[in-house]
Amino acid sequence: MTRYDVIVVGAGPAGLSAAAEAAAAGARVAVFDENAKPGGQLFKQIHKFFGAKEHKAKIRGVNIGAELLAEAEGLGVTVFLNAPVMGLYKDREVLVRHADAVRRYKGDAVVVATGASENMLTFPGWTLPGVTGAGAAQTMMNINRVKPGHRVLMLGSGNVGLVVGFQLLQAGCELAAVVDAAPRVGGYGVHAAKLARTGVPFYLSHTVVRAEGTDRVTGVVVGQVDDTWNVIPGTEKRFDVDTICIAVGLSSSTQLLKMAGCALRDDGAGWLPVCADDGETSMARVYAAGDVSGIEEASSAMIEGRIAGAAAVRKLGFVTEEALAVRMAELESALESLRGGMFAPGRRGKIPDKTDEGLPISASLLSRGYLDDAEVDQYPGVKKTAGIRPVIECTQNIPCNPCRDACPKGCIKVEGGIVSLPVYDEKAGCAGCGLCVAACSGQSIFLVDDDTGGGAAEVTIPYEFLPLPGEGERGVALSRSGAALCPAEVVGVKQSPAYDKTALVTFRVPQEFAMKARFWRKEAVV
Amino acid sequence: MSVDRTRDFGGYVPAADDELVICRCEEVTKGEIRRAVRDGMFNVHEVRRFLRCGMGLCQGQTCARLVRAVVARELGVPPSALAEATGRAPARPTEMYVFANEEGLA
Repeated sequence: MTRYDVIVVGAGPAGLSAAAEAAAAGARVAVFDENAKPGGQLFKQIHKFFGAKEHKAKIRGVNIGAELLAEAEGLGVTVFLNAPVMGLYKDREVLVRHADAVRRYKGDAVVVATGASENMLTFPGWTLPGVTGAGAAQTMMNINRVKPGHRVLMLGSGNVGLVVGFQLLQAGCELAAVVDAAPRVGGYGVHAAKLARTGVPFYLSHTVVRAEGTDRVTGVVVGQVDDTWNVIPGTEKRFDVDTICIAVGLSSSTQLLKMAGCALRDDGAGWLPVCADDGETSMARVYAAGDVSGIEEASSAMIEGRIAGAAAVRKLGFVTEEALAVRMAELESALESLRGGMFAPGRRGKIPDKTDEGLPISASLLSRGYLDDAEVDQYPGVKKTAGIRPVIECTQNIPCNPCRDACPKGCIKVEGGIVSLPVYDEKAGCAGCGLCVAACSGQSIFLVDDDTGGGAAEVTIPYEFLPLPGEGERGVALSRSGAALCPAEVVGVKQSPAYDKTALVTFRVPQEFAMKARFWRKEAVV
Repeated sequence: MSVDRTRDFGGYVPAADDELVICRCEEVTKGEIRRAVRDGMFNVHEVRRFLRCGMGLCQGQTCARLVRAVVARELGVPPSALAEATGRAPARPTEMYVFANEEGLA
């Protein structure tokens, strides 16, 4: 039996963070992961993360994963891959498979960071090839570089469904629709708006009636649901798709905690370990961190991992109580700020009518996935000034503020907490550099110049599709709902290391479309 | 929560979606689970032992919630009233020869 100070199960965001935190204090740390590659789900997150600087906001998940792994390994953490943990027993004994043998380890502390697995939904045809978890589709695309299908229906409008939906578009798939049984979009409005402006329709209060096909999916029928979640006859709609992605939530992978004897509770959505604030379960020195202790974002998981790692090394005597208190205060405040806003874990399902600023929450954004043109002006990131200016279509209180730090002239303010809506301070002036456009993880900042002469206006959008359009290329400007508005010529395509792979595409439209055009598509047909 | 075993739930009544596969690994249908409940398997644990649902390759990762929902509905209780099946090693499917091949043992 091999002994470590801290054994971590799972090399995802929470596990690697716990390991790094513990190793930094001088503990001997081993991480076991069943996969061939470390990083958990981080390496397939190709989008920029929300949050603030201390949460690594505006950095793509894949790069955060690489940083975290380098940090852990640099601190001397041993990461065992292809090493499934088969059992967690009394007194923190861990049984691990290595190739064709099993080996026993003992941790003076154990951090279980096993993550979560995707929930499934049953409907006739759900076992056909082509029905897949959205997370699985994301793994296929972003890790294995295989397109999951050609034409996809996304079931679920939470952040997983919306983010994976967008990545399917980036991979070159068509997205036939986003469907959700709930009456409102479950994820961030900015994620929904990214899809809607490309023309993806949202069907809220709808569910899958059946998948069609004999050997594989060839189509899907959806229908509207009533108050009791039953499909209303006559509301069925059929889509030609070869893939149905299911994004109806995640369940914490608590198997190891369960077999170790940790107390579990049912939070209504699934079983979770009963944990103290520092992640310690009912078993002494067995900690749970990340999705296994409650489904949240990877950003929160990384902080939870650090909290568990810090608590474990304190228990083992590597740091003083005072040092722990200082570190915990930092970490807890970072976690607290991520857990604010209208989608906060404690507020799940309860959508307020107004923002913290007292502005109306867009009903259109919640029911159709995009802001109504008439609603846009009322938000503090949108002000009509002469010359080029940012138009910040960020209308829900979510924990995110990279736009504030992006502007070299300081014309974007996020004051009174990280979840406050960004304010465009027209007095500071906009230089049109576009850094805010690229920094916005929700792709909800645009540059607009209402009058560039001759009755034309120019709109700059964040653009993350390949191939990039070329200057002078003619196409069509699309509205927030994805409807074709008018012909639009690309007048600028900017790329910069500072933009981190988000290109800025500027197109010219007649002035009347300056505040309506929010996407550009190649086809010239209107 | 323990379910009152003397309570009369009535017999199994066929339903239109009984053919729906719930546990893919062991190919257990909704109808089989519903019938098992009517035959006296009053919790997830007993249904699992009786039908093997959740004991296949994925170890219930996909179907645990689904089975629980079917059993709960049949019993007329909320799913949260039913405990999950017991967790046991190996947490991942493992060949017996591997399980027996413990390093450091003579």
